[in-house]
Amino acid sequence: MFRKVGIIGVGQSVFGVRGDVTIQELAWEAVKEALEDAGLTQRDIEISIVGSAGTRTYELYPAVPVNEYSGFSEKGPIRVEAACATGSAALAVAYNMVASGFVDVALAIGVEKMNEVDTATSLAVGGRGGNYLWEYHFYGTTFPGYYALYATAHMAKFGTTEEQLALVRVKNQKYAAKNPKAQFQFEVTVDDVLKSRPVAWPLKLYDCSAITDGAAAAVIASEDAIKNLHIDTPVWIEAIGYASDTANITKREDYVGLKATRLAAQMAYKKSHIEPKDVEVAEVHDCFTIAEIMAYEDLGFVEKGKGGKFIEEGQSDIGGKVAVNLSGGLLGKGHPLGATGLAMIYELVKQLREERERGRQAPLKKYIALAHNIGGTGHYGYVTILRR
Amino acid sequence: MGMAERKTERKTIKREGPVIDSIPIIYKHRIPISKTVKYWDGLKEGKIYAVRCKSCGAVYYPPQADCPYCGSSDIEWFELPKEGVLETFTRIYARPQGYEDFEPYIIAIAKVGDVRVMGWLVNVKDERCVKVGDEVTLSTAYIEKHNKYIITFQLKNKQC
Repeated sequence: MFRKVGIIGVGQSVFGVRGDVTIQELAWEAVKEALEDAGLTQRDIEISIVGSAGTRTYELYPAVPVNEYSGFSEKGPIRVEAACATGSAALAVAYNMVASGFVDVALAIGVEKMNEVDTATSLAVGGRGGNYLWEYHFYGTTFPGYYALYATAHMAKFGTTEEQLALVRVKNQKYAAKNPKAQFQFEVTVDDVLKSRPVAWPLKLYDCSAITDGAAAAVIASEDAIKNLHIDTPVWIEAIGYASDTANITKREDYVGLKATRLAAQMAYKKSHIEPKDVEVAEVHDCFTIAEIMAYEDLGFVEKGKGGKFIEEGQSDIGGKVAVNLSGGLLGKGHPLGATGLAMIYELVKQLREERERGRQAPLKKYIALAHNIGGTGHYGYVTILRR
Repeated sequence: MGMAERKTERKTIKREGPVIDSIPIIYKHRIPISKTVKYWDGLKEGKIYAVRCKSCGAVYYPPQADCPYCGSSDIEWFELPKEGVLETFTRIYARPQGYEDFEPYIIAIAKVGDVRVMGWLVNVKDERCVKVGDEVTLSTAYIEKHNKYIITFQLKNKQC
């Protein structure tokens, strides 16, 4: 029987180009904040889980240096990798260790340094995010290219427009502009997006998340430990759903949605007895604008094919059916692979505690939040449901 | 509002400091193809092969020598048809390391027989005129820069 598990401390570094710090120095920014937020020290943490895709940094085994620098040398680390869903995988491992009774208090760290190499190298690493031998080797796939394949198919089948895609960026920049930890703190117009240079047609520069350095961390604990530590504002992990899909993109069922999202969401909704309509605030995986539109559909916020309309009607904004990506999302805040899943948790914990800045705090009645984190092009899917 | 004025409002986090260079590391992998050599040889002859499990009938493309469903490694190779239908495509403008020298190229996925095949859609000037559902013919082409053969698609009934 699993124990109830809560999040008691969260931290996030400033996201962006962080040429001023090493990977361990960057991780510490998030770890320090998470420990202070929980009111704990390293002594209270029994194990650390370090998530880092680690494909662009000179530190090829990043978990140990990160762990040592943060003062956890004897406590783990368990290193996890699930491409862009690495942060959620770290949380899932930490959750399972606490829920199963293996430990009472655990720390999940997600960190990524992506700007130590140039953009062409970064594209070559991302383009290997499927099955190198049958895709990149022959055809020079890129990460934007993979999602562009989905955008083309979604537009062809449902009439989704480039303007609707652009509206995702416009909404997310509105909130990124108010987020002091976001990489891009400014607003954009539909026209700015449409006129940005093509990256992988039909996706343009502003349809794409950037190459970002960042870290995030969460301290989680069992219900008993939370009582003993006198924590008064825990955010409970109601469920974590997970799924995966084929490495080869040619083997997918279709190109208009992500099966990994649908399966992970089904699992999370079923485990938590929460329905899509109960979710008030969500952080969804908008690595590209098309990804957010597909997420609305695959998470059950709106039926398949109506994602474009959903953004157009403002249903994913504050005042709509569900407030999505009030952090600015991956598009506005940045997408440091290993950190992203935990940065979603950071944002949602702050939202559920109603600690957000004016203009980007979701109005809450049920205090139910959802994080949706995808690794690769739907290769991994994690859906985490939180409640205060 | 002028462009210059607007640019200054665009607050972006970019923190730089003193750096040193790492000792460079170069990866150049040797990829085993002994179990799929038929495929690689086929491309040189303009043929595209898939495999079928002789035990349970499962079809694999890209080809693989082992069938995880029934556990058999008794497979047969068969040639795919030379015609297909476009399921989706993109034109890669931001090109990765190793592909910088190519003009922006179109990666497409076509339904070919019972499987889907990735390839480069060639001889297309304007990708906006290409549509999902367009019919294509398949052939293979030699790419000198990488010393490899790839699959190419061409639009069957139209010019773009």
